[in-house]
Amino acid sequence: MRIKKTLAVAATTALLAATAACGSENDGDSKGDGPAKADLVVWLNGTDTPQPARDWLKKTFEEQNPGSTLTIEQQEWEGLVERLTTALTSADQTPDVVEVGNTQAPTFTTVGAFSDLSDDLDDLGGDDLLPGFVDGATVDGKTFAVPYYAGSTYVFYRKDLFEQAGITAVPTSMEEFVTAATTLKQKSGKADFSGYWLPGKDWRDGAALLWDAGGDFAAPDGDGWKGTLSTPESLAGLTAFQDLYDAASGAPADANESDPVTPFCAGKIGMMSRPGWVYGMLTDPKSGCPKLAEKVGVFALPGSDDGPAPVLLGGSDIAISAKSPNQALSRKVLDLMLSEDYQTILAEAGLTPAKESLATKLGDDQFAKATVEAASNAKLTPAAAAWATVEGKFVLEDLYSEIAQGGDVKKLAAEADDKITAELN
Amino acid sequence: MARGSARRSSLPFGLVLPAIVALGLALGYPLVRQVVLSLQEFGLAQQFGQAPEWIGLGNYRDLLGNGELWPVVARTVAFCLVNAGLTFGIGLGLALLMTRMSKVVRILTQCGLLLAWAMPVVAAMTVWQFLFDTEYGVVNWLLTALGGDFEGHSWLIDPWSFFLVATLVVVWMSVPFVAFTLYAALTQVPEDVVEAAQIDGASARQRFVHVVLPSIRSVLLVVVLLQVIWDLRVFTQIYTLQKAGGISKDTNLLGTYIYTLGIKGGDFGMAAAAAMFMLVLTIVLTAPYVRMMLKQEED
Repeated sequence: MRIKKTLAVAATTALLAATAACGSENDGDSKGDGPAKADLVVWLNGTDTPQPARDWLKKTFEEQNPGSTLTIEQQEWEGLVERLTTALTSADQTPDVVEVGNTQAPTFTTVGAFSDLSDDLDDLGGDDLLPGFVDGATVDGKTFAVPYYAGSTYVFYRKDLFEQAGITAVPTSMEEFVTAATTLKQKSGKADFSGYWLPGKDWRDGAALLWDAGGDFAAPDGDGWKGTLSTPESLAGLTAFQDLYDAASGAPADANESDPVTPFCAGKIGMMSRPGWVYGMLTDPKSGCPKLAEKVGVFALPGSDDGPAPVLLGGSDIAISAKSPNQALSRKVLDLMLSEDYQTILAEAGLTPAKESLATKLGDDQFAKATVEAASNAKLTPAAAAWATVEGKFVLEDLYSEIAQGGDVKKLAAEADDKITAELN
Repeated sequence: MARGSARRSSLPFGLVLPAIVALGLALGYPLVRQVVLSLQEFGLAQQFGQAPEWIGLGNYRDLLGNGELWPVVARTVAFCLVNAGLTFGIGLGLALLMTRMSKVVRILTQCGLLLAWAMPVVAAMTVWQFLFDTEYGVVNWLLTALGGDFEGHSWLIDPWSFFLVATLVVVWMSVPFVAFTLYAALTQVPEDVVEAAQIDGASARQRFVHVVLPSIRSVLLVVVLLQVIWDLRVFTQIYTLQKAGGISKDTNLLGTYIYTLGIKGGDFGMAAAAAMFMLVLTIVLTAPYVRMMLKQEED
């Protein structure tokens, strides 16, 4: 039986962790800083971090710390919470430094999975670090993770298709945006073409519509949290998602947003909301389609009120695994990842740097402008400690996908509220 | 008095001890741990070192009260029986067919079966996902080319067709084992007995039911038993398909449900309680076969 195996693994890892913890104390290392030389493992997620940044990190770290090595292991974003849950509990298996989604961080910071960075916070950047991210990773006055980069999605659009459809200017309000998306789809006349690419499980971009209508996923309720998807505002936002999916999206109702490149390069997308670094994937001659990418323009998703829509404030934190035997060396890795050199490489790839003072490194092209504008009204998911389990259990993927399939929004929202409330308390 | 001295000798116990220790460690410890876990409030915080709280049967109460368990159990049992049945039927058919094939054809068939069986699950799942992909899948392309309206048809979105695909994959993967094992058993059926029955005027059907089947009965029982256990705890196939599409909450079987509770949801106590259900279910479903096997050994 699988669960027995899982539990056996969990049990063994717990045992190993206990013995390993004893071992490091016996080394006479009272602070638990770990050895001077070690082979460090850094977990980075998805293809977000560009290759030059990875190369720079490995090279610089190994030069500055002779005898030590640094290995970057790439993890999939999907299923990350599960993998961290199992890996971080074992001193033997744990990566030393991990990247974690900013909305996933509280699940781990509240249970002691990460090392306390409060004392080092000033050295790492202090007030210069993106404040929303530091707050999100702070529990009872202690900070357990620091920002790595931020990035909200903005809209990529095909200029040539806009022209063909007779759309002369980029939309400046949600209404115009919906009209543009619908027009693009109608002009194409194809079922699998997306005027606006919105896979059914893409709740992260669906969140913008929810928030734009004034709704939210959950709200504090007494000592706990309560799902709020059934409020009139939230229902309006979810219905807007359903309408937009029906009218403009050609993506499958049960697909997620992990692969925008294939449909885009197949010419099936008029507009899509994606983080800036996706542009790098489109221009890549091997995996992308540089010719089609030349026709791309970008703008920040406009809201119903003046200004940009409240999109999800995406991004990542980095943290040191509390069980890692190499605390001191891991600190050095963190220093390097927040250094100006490293963050500049990230900024050049379209990621918003972790320090506010480095925001200028984004440049001033259309991508930089869209990034800054989108971020100006970006919003976080509810700050509940258990939020990541709502994400981990696919509550929102299921909800949005069923809405995209034409389900009864009111009924589905009520069901999801129950689940969210149960999960968060 | 050879008998008396053998009884006093500790050698037999010494010989049995390693096996008992290994069994105790490999099976006993996780089982005890599972029972203990299921009685505790054991979440992520406990995983990272906080002391768990004893809550008696609280996890079981929550599990029975939240209304999710019974549909999952019903789905699991139905999936298990359908898959075990299909696998067994197709496997037996193939095994019988193999006894009639010429050598070349038989070896070709066996190679094909062996490859399907030897394929790592995750690799096979990647291929199956490609085949049934909504936008680019060859199945949709083929059905559309044959005149159907399958463009952009999602195979995983509807739970019934999700389980149709899952059944296809699971049966495809398990048939080779059944076919090989039963074929091996069939080659051991004494030919002279079958011939004698033929001379006595038994029809092909009668020979199969009254001569062949009884002589491979013990193998049949083991195969069915294993198949039921395997199909009850099916996990990888469902887990991978859920990632590819479909609605997770409508397609969970016990394996993925326990995983969702524990690893995804960070509630290991509840997951352990759900796992106890799976254990009981396995015992209930396999008890008749085990009893038959034990009885046969006594005979």
